[in-house]
Amino acid sequence: MLQYIELSLKNLSYRKARAILTTLGVIIGITAVVSMVSIGEGMTKAVREQFEAFGTNKILVTSTMEYGVRGKGLTDGDVSNIEDIVGVEFVSPMYSVAAGGEFKGEEKVITVWGLDPGKAERTFSDVGGYRLLKGRWLEPGDRNVVVLGYRVHDDFFKSKVELGNSIKIQGEKFRVVGIFKETGDPEHDEAVMVNIDKLRELMGREKSVTAIVVRVKPGYDVDEVRQKIEDSLERRHEGVEFDVFTSQQLINAISSSLKVIQVVFGGIAGVSLIVGGIGIANTMIMNVVERTQEIGIMKATGATNSQVMRIFLFESGVFGFFGGMIGVLIGYIISTIINELAENYLGPGVLTTAVTPSLAFYAISFAILAGVISGLYPAYKAVKLDPVEALRA
Amino acid sequence: MKGLDIVRLEGVEKTYLMDRVKVPALRGINLSIEKGDYVSIMGPSGSGKSTLMNLIGALDRPTKGRVFIEGRDISKLSDNSLARIRREKIGFVFQQFNLIPRLTAIENVELPMWFAGVPKVQRVKRAAELLKLVGLGDRMKHRPTELSGGERQRVCIARALGNDPEIILADEPTGNLDTKSGEGIMRILEELNERGKTIVLVTHEREFGKRANTIIKIRDGRIVG
Ligand SMILES: Nc1ncnc2c1ncn2[C@@H]1O[C@H](COP(=O)(O)OP(=O)(O)OP(=O)(O)O)[C@@H](O)[C@H]1O
Ligand SMILES: [Mg+2]
Repeated sequence: MLQYIELSLKNLSYRKARAILTTLGVIIGITAVVSMVSIGEGMTKAVREQFEAFGTNKILVTSTMEYGVRGKGLTDGDVSNIEDIVGVEFVSPMYSVAAGGEFKGEEKVITVWGLDPGKAERTFSDVGGYRLLKGRWLEPGDRNVVVLGYRVHDDFFKSKVELGNSIKIQGEKFRVVGIFKETGDPEHDEAVMVNIDKLRELMGREKSVTAIVVRVKPGYDVDEVRQKIEDSLERRHEGVEFDVFTSQQLINAISSSLKVIQVVFGGIAGVSLIVGGIGIANTMIMNVVERTQEIGIMKATGATNSQVMRIFLFESGVFGFFGGMIGVLIGYIISTIINELAENYLGPGVLTTAVTPSLAFYAISFAILAGVISGLYPAYKAVKLDPVEALRA
Repeated sequence: MKGLDIVRLEGVEKTYLMDRVKVPALRGINLSIEKGDYVSIMGPSGSGKSTLMNLIGALDRPTKGRVFIEGRDISKLSDNSLARIRREKIGFVFQQFNLIPRLTAIENVELPMWFAGVPKVQRVKRAAELLKLVGLGDRMKHRPTELSGGERQRVCIARALGNDPEIILADEPTGNLDTKSGEGIMRILEELNERGKTIVLVTHEREFGKRANTIIKIRDGRIVG
């Protein structure tokens, strides 16, 4: 084994320029594989982390139909039913709506989240990763107060909205008691939070609920509880569409669509590897032709067919190995650059790409394999050479 | 008597096919070479000398007839069995030197041992000894292009001795050398014969050919004396 490596290194170093050109295809292919996979993995991780912030012990119930529109959406009745299910720790109903907002005479449509004031903090601080910048959360008994997403405070209206200011929602005044830190997600940063009952009153939707966040008690199986919630909802609302998600399901769904992207990337990388393999095969055929006499010498001095085969397969495998090594290195550099860019433009820790040791290992093994496979035909040609003819060449 | 023959050919014919035309290179060769003999094969160009050497050296198979090495019929053996016989029993020395240009002198000498699976330390040690034997102890790291013709041919002889074979087949080893270098090569071959190796030498030079114990003359693929 060692001696084959030694011999093939000697052979390759004899024609360095050609060796480098030959491995170029593999280098490009492996670079593509490594950077694609590491970015894909970084994306998957980013998504997973976001959902894990939601917590794996939570279940989200949403309905595509609003109660009252056809009388079939989620209602307070569902909320109290879910509260009675074994294993449910606490239930927090939400009502969200796009409402008319007004500040200092400027009118704009604004997303308003209605929450149970007593549960707002528990629900949202760990679900959405909401953190207060200033002021306080909604508290029990709050009616005409509002907590603002960062952008609403900052630049949603022409002038900044500060603690103690009042904004109008559907014509009614709400005093600002809290401001959230920026989350980076405009859907959250451009929304405001008020008391759910107050909001539903304003909108004329007394019992309507758009989403329910359920937290499962420790020690209970999240999927079992989800099943019970589904059963209970189905009994009450026949033929109504609603979705019951656990965060795990969401992670899985999104991860699998990211997998598809990765497979597509991988396919592109695979094609470039095939091109690289053809390059190796081409060089190896050239090698076999150029070294016909040498093959004759090897056979005359006692090389068996399988030894000749191994010599040439090793050489093409070494091409693959070097291509793979360099490819992994460049892939690593690209991945690092993307990390830097992501950190500068998306913020720290949002997208972290990584070339893991196992990725490097698989990429290099794959490159060696591609090299060996590309060498099969040329090696076969070398084996088939008649020693007498080869010596005469 | 027959038991001692290290090489024996019985009714050996070799016909090449060129563009569907049969070219007879050997037409019925019967030949015995004793162990330790020093044989020279002489004959005009195209008479079949190299073809004969290739058959004796297990590089090729006869079209007809049988070739025995140490009493074993090798005319129908597989590629791998032939390779093993070449590796263990035969050392080739060619007219065109046939060294691998990328490898140094010592690495070229290591080659047959490499194929025989001799461990590196032993291989290098023996290759160095063999190079010293042919007078190239100070040229071990030279590549073939950095050696003179005579030196290259001596590397070839050292390589042929790698696995200590019984038979040395030298096909016009002095053909590309001046008289002085040629004489040097002849001396080495004769010394090897004195040490017990069986030498088969193809040569065009009468003076060299006559020095053998047995002289075989070949013409048009037949032995004529
Ligand atoms: N591979 C081959 N294909 C076709 N014909 C061949 C082949 N090898 C040898 N011959 C023919 O066989 C005959 C014998 O060739 P061989 O090489 O044995 O001659 P030789 O005695 O060694 O000649 P020289 O002294 O020139 O080396 C020649 O006529 C040659 O043309
Ligand atoms: Mg000849």
